[in-house]
Amino acid sequence: MKFGSILRAVITAPALCLLAGAALAQQAYPSKPVRLVLPYSPGGIIDYVGRTMAQYLTGPLGQPVIAENRPGAGGITGTDTVARSAPDGYNLVLMDPAIVINPTLQPSMPYDLFKQLATVSIISTSPEVVVVSPELPVKTLADLIAYGKANPGKLNFASAGIGTTPHLAGELFKQRTGIDATHVPYKSIGQSYPDMMSNKVQFAFSSIAGALPFTTDNRVRPIATSGLTRSPVYPDAPTVDEAGLKGFEVDLWLGIFAPTGTPADVVEKLNGAIKVALKDPELIKAFAKVGVEPRGTSAKDGEAFLKAEFGKWKKVIEDGNIKDQ
Amino acid sequence: MMDVFANIGLGLSVAATFQNLAYCMLGTLLGTIVGVLPGIGPVTTVAMLLPISFTLEPTSALIMMAGIYYGAQYGGSTTAILINIPGEPSSVVTSLDGYQMARQGRAGPALGIAALGSFFAGCVATFVIAFGAPPLAKLALQFGPAEYFSLMLCGLVAAIVLARGSVIKAIAMVVLGLIFGLAGSDVNSGIRRFTFGFQGLADGIEFVALSMAIYGVSEVAINLEKKDEEVGVVSTVGSVWPSFADIRYCMPSILRGTALGSVLGVLPGGGALLAAFSAYTLEKKVAKHPRRFGEGDIRGVAAPESANNAGAQTSFIPMLTLGIPSNPTMALMIGALMVHGITPGPRVLIDRPDLFWGVVASMWIGNLMLVVLNLPMVGIWVRLLRMPYRMMFPAIVGFCCVGTYTINGNVTDIAVMAFFTIFGYLCLKLDCEPAPLILGFVLGPMMEENLRRALLISRGDPTIFVNAPISLTFLVAAALLLLIVAAPAIRARREEALAE
Repeated sequence: MKFGSILRAVITAPALCLLAGAALAQQAYPSKPVRLVLPYSPGGIIDYVGRTMAQYLTGPLGQPVIAENRPGAGGITGTDTVARSAPDGYNLVLMDPAIVINPTLQPSMPYDLFKQLATVSIISTSPEVVVVSPELPVKTLADLIAYGKANPGKLNFASAGIGTTPHLAGELFKQRTGIDATHVPYKSIGQSYPDMMSNKVQFAFSSIAGALPFTTDNRVRPIATSGLTRSPVYPDAPTVDEAGLKGFEVDLWLGIFAPTGTPADVVEKLNGAIKVALKDPELIKAFAKVGVEPRGTSAKDGEAFLKAEFGKWKKVIEDGNIKDQ
Repeated sequence: MMDVFANIGLGLSVAATFQNLAYCMLGTLLGTIVGVLPGIGPVTTVAMLLPISFTLEPTSALIMMAGIYYGAQYGGSTTAILINIPGEPSSVVTSLDGYQMARQGRAGPALGIAALGSFFAGCVATFVIAFGAPPLAKLALQFGPAEYFSLMLCGLVAAIVLARGSVIKAIAMVVLGLIFGLAGSDVNSGIRRFTFGFQGLADGIEFVALSMAIYGVSEVAINLEKKDEEVGVVSTVGSVWPSFADIRYCMPSILRGTALGSVLGVLPGGGALLAAFSAYTLEKKVAKHPRRFGEGDIRGVAAPESANNAGAQTSFIPMLTLGIPSNPTMALMIGALMVHGITPGPRVLIDRPDLFWGVVASMWIGNLMLVVLNLPMVGIWVRLLRMPYRMMFPAIVGFCCVGTYTINGNVTDIAVMAFFTIFGYLCLKLDCEPAPLILGFVLGPMMEENLRRALLISRGDPTIFVNAPISLTFLVAAALLLLIVAAPAIRARREEALAE
């Protein structure tokens, strides 16, 4: 990293000089460090991707990007601090699909997602992996569906808590297949693995990062991934779509958001810097280790995607009657 | 058998390279510092160092992170003893007797025995990992939701039985602790309970805010009532080295604490905090004069300090051999390893013996470094005690506020701390011991989570708790403990013991 950053500094130095010239005229953005809020505790995928992103964003942006954990209330606390902060481009938040799930699920929200936050870019995409207990006589997704239909009321599925992507992916799976399975929430998906190994819970839609330690030596069995194309991490596992549930897609995407009212040129600048950072081979390598692929949408496409995701999960929540009260 | 020694030899050869020694030293030093500072803990430190660790050799990175983790357990006891502020949650128990010792002018021996007890426990735990990692990992896998629930129930009953003073008060405090633990989002439905509309309470009452209020700030309030000379500015600190008699007196406690800590550390979700509390409770049970606990008994420092260090180290077993993180710091370490293309799990032992044994050996070296680092520092720390108390008060309150705020950056936590300061003050005035409350508060949410998870899995059938042999054993033990309180003959003897 050290050598890389020196190299990058050498390359970007002339550009920075130009920037400095412009700064004299009108204090061009960014003139001070940028804060990237990560609304979850250290140790999860957001933390990992967020810190990596902050590190690689610093070069193209020309100012340090500081990642800061503000955990609490399923991401609401951290998102709220950014929603309320000044729309000057120095306050950003990295969030997962919970940002569109929370407004439907929670009876009261401290902020209005579509009025107070604007999408800068959807930076990454990552499928979930369907893992099953090795004690279960199930080798494929079709087996799992058949087993669930033959043994109604027997299956449990684990999640990282109510309203998390693993939970709603499981609900969507239930709704699409008509099988009955009981939702068993854990504090994090990692905590559910001992119970899955001993067949107390039978399956889960897990993040790839959470599943990897257990799938490498077959202590749990990966049978499918939830993207529309196969994951390079599990090239042998078909997608859920391939396995028969046409159009089934669950994406554990991550996006960067800024308070509404952030000037368009600042958003553009950030979006450009994000796109540059996402092309860095070192970053791509770091993302790939946890099954995450860079995406980098424009602000407009990101906003449209966000609305679509909001509608998709709203329907799953309402059809499954998973209201919070 | 020979294998183990060959493996330890391999580990030492990895850990004793100049580079790895340097990272071990850096880790333990950083750990001690963040342990001393309330609010900033090993999780935050490891998170901040994570990007740097990506550029290191994975063994070096893990050695450094491990050093921060167990170094913090060490440092946390220093402030607990000297100014009654537990630097880490797991040193809350240490402050009970440690601070009393400091006020009696025995801060030196208290810090000394904490260091020696931790060192001894660290050495033993290293060997426990070396010999027992694979079988112990299997034991941890036996624990499902039902087993955890019964274990914790047993722990709570033990807290009631063994509490100092009135049983009724102890039960009341445990129940209060359980109730406080209910605040926050319900795990199964996501509904907010007892948050009174405060966003800051959505994740429940912050443990650090509660424990700092009850142990740190309330104590200040009580002391403010007294005249300056009564508060007892500690002028003597005593020799840093505990006397030979002290060591002999503590040895059984250190042994028991180490054993208990080593076992509890292996359970995912157990770890240092549970180990320290259980060890203290156990000491009170076996002691001939339990009344002395809470009033500056050196065994009340030795046992939990040994236990939390042993627990901190054996909690590496589920992490390294199963890939199951028992706390957020471990989750970060798993993340760091995965970046290096190493997926923690049973294969680490086979694929990367140098990494596994190198880290294990570095723990032993790191513990030695901690003793060397800490014993001379004790002299510097105790100078803090010479400061007039009227200058210490604002400093303690300030540190508590800053420490509580920095954990989540949440202002509500400071309000929570203010509330529990008043609450803690009333408890002290009413002679209600806060330890059972803390235990109820810590165990309550975990118990509820596991109880409801077990019942979800069994579809509401409660026999799941008696059908699992491990779970049944804990339930029977809890019942026996309750019987001890209830049986009049034993009760009479208990009163007698307490009367002296």
